[in-house]
Amino acid sequence: MGKILFVSNRSEKIKQYREIMKKHDFTVAESESSAIEAVEITQFDIIIFDDNLDKNIMKKLKSVTNKPSFILLTKKDKLESDKDINGFLTDDMPEELVNSAINLNLRTHKSLEQLSDTNKNLADSLYRLNVLYSTSSKFAGSLDKEKLLDYMIEGMDKSLSFDLTCTLAFCTEEQPVLILNSLYEISDELLNAIKIRTAMNYKSLFKMPLTDNIKVIKNIKYPGKSFTFSIFEYDNMFAPISAGDNFFGCIEIFKETPFTSDDATCFQTIAQQVSLPLKSATLYQEIKETNLKLEKLERLKSEFISIVSHELRTPLTAIKNSLDILSCGRCGDINDSGIKFLSMAQRNVERLSGIINDLLDLSKIEAGKMDYHFTNMNIHSVIDYVKNSLAGVANEKGLRLIAEETVNLPDINADSQRLEQVLTNLVSNAIKFTPSGKTITIRSHLADASQITTNECFKPDIDKLKGQYVIVCVEDEGIGIAQKDLLRAFDKFAQIENSLSRKAGGSGLGLPIAKQLLEAHNGAIWCDSEPEKGSRFYFALPVSQIPADEKILISN
Amino acid sequence: MKKILIVDDEQDIVESLKFVLEAADFTCYCAYNGEDGLKLAKEIMPDLIILDVMMPKINGYKISRLLKYDKKYKDIPILMITARSQEEDKLIGEETGADEYITKPFDLNDVVNKVKEYLWKQ
Repeated sequence: MGKILFVSNRSEKIKQYREIMKKHDFTVAESESSAIEAVEITQFDIIIFDDNLDKNIMKKLKSVTNKPSFILLTKKDKLESDKDINGFLTDDMPEELVNSAINLNLRTHKSLEQLSDTNKNLADSLYRLNVLYSTSSKFAGSLDKEKLLDYMIEGMDKSLSFDLTCTLAFCTEEQPVLILNSLYEISDELLNAIKIRTAMNYKSLFKMPLTDNIKVIKNIKYPGKSFTFSIFEYDNMFAPISAGDNFFGCIEIFKETPFTSDDATCFQTIAQQVSLPLKSATLYQEIKETNLKLEKLERLKSEFISIVSHELRTPLTAIKNSLDILSCGRCGDINDSGIKFLSMAQRNVERLSGIINDLLDLSKIEAGKMDYHFTNMNIHSVIDYVKNSLAGVANEKGLRLIAEETVNLPDINADSQRLEQVLTNLVSNAIKFTPSGKTITIRSHLADASQITTNECFKPDIDKLKGQYVIVCVEDEGIGIAQKDLLRAFDKFAQIENSLSRKAGGSGLGLPIAKQLLEAHNGAIWCDSEPEKGSRFYFALPVSQIPADEKILISN
Repeated sequence: MKKILIVDDEQDIVESLKFVLEAADFTCYCAYNGEDGLKLAKEIMPDLIILDVMMPKINGYKISRLLKYDKKYKDIPILMITARSQEEDKLIGEETGADEYITKPFDLNDVVNKVKEYLWKQ
């Protein structure tokens, strides 16, 4: 049985078809206006249109409804095909033929309708999948909690077309936040109802009354309109947002029409998808905050050291000057033990000023404020300078200080003053830790990074090196360093724990400074030692990349 | 006798510098802040000035600049005493015209030698 509209002004045909179609829901329209009225009220399966009428009426009907099949009842024997018409009936057609034609049309019409429904469902599912896909891509690309929540709401809006969502987020700030996304304006009464509902649901999680403490963010799509019904008349869905032990919050979604099971799946999927990115975002934020704190601390430390060093220098200068004046005898003669204690005081002033200088250097390096004056230079000049300036100190202690250099080493691009500082430190250490009668040797040679062999603990530093390096080695026959302490030798203040080396004086900052200075030169420092068998400290500097002819230009 | 002006707010340091310089036969004038230092410099026309950087009211850099940009005083050698502090770092890079920098803690003999060197040049 189908719904059929018969549009005709021929009474004999009306009568005939009323008879034929008595099994169907049969309506007759005799004029244009009554036909349009009928079409507007009822959804017909088939409209039979009499050719006797003006064709324009059919066009008008088509413009009102496109769904029914249009069958033309015509007197003609010859039928012209027309895109607006799904079938024909002729005036002289026998009753059986008319019936079968109508039935066939009805069946086709039903199948088409089913097909179009299925198609619509498929398109719907495809659209939702697309939304889910794009939402999850957005989740993956963000580490911002607020944005993640926005993406979640956006995804739900597209796939579920809600009227109102309430998202309660606990972990965004100190206080819980209730985010309301709504089609229409929310009245104070409704807002209160939602707040009380939330408070009732989560009162176990909060010590304070949630209704007063909660922060509300409202996003209203059409602020001109407001909800006329109580929210409890709406269909709703609810999902927690959590990842493992982290309970982030929950989301509730309201809609005037009932949700389908597909809606529920989609909703759950989005709520689940957002959980993990939210957890990552929380962790990321924590790490960022900790990092900021650490950076600030580091900066404060550098500033503190710098200020303290300055404050120490001025009184130290006054002490040093007084001692110098006393010791040169200008204030009268001093006996032997007086000289002994004066020189003790002088020695310790020197030591203290060395420590302050080291502290300042290190804080400057760490604050990135150290100035370097890189020039093309040869390592020979540095070795010569250090050897000459420390030969006296070595002799005093009964040590031999010699240099075994490779001739014609290529140039390096470096700050000579800083390299002198590094080498002076290494040689001074060697002098300090070597008993009298022994020898200290400064060696230099050229090597490829791949040829450098070293203790396992310095491997990561050496692995960074690539290409040709000028290598300087300071070898002593002193007390040596135990295997486990090798790496620690380059740590700040490492010496402080070692009472033996503390006797030798120094700040314990020389090696850490040397390490940082060499890193600024794209070089490296490492050592090789055994207790009682002496130490070898090495440092490597990359061979200058400036070609020889340009070097001549520079020197000219 | 050559006249040397020492300007430093640290009296102890002024005292020790004065002692060694007088022992080396120089006449010393002392000022304990920037303002007095600048006034004294214009009054006595010293042959050389030893100037601390960090001082209240007018710092050493400023005094040095004021003198070096004045035709009348620009030839007076200035030895600047610095503690390499952070505040000083911020000021460095400004054109001060000082002839020499001495870092605290300094060696008194070095200072005397430097002073002699500059005065012989003249």
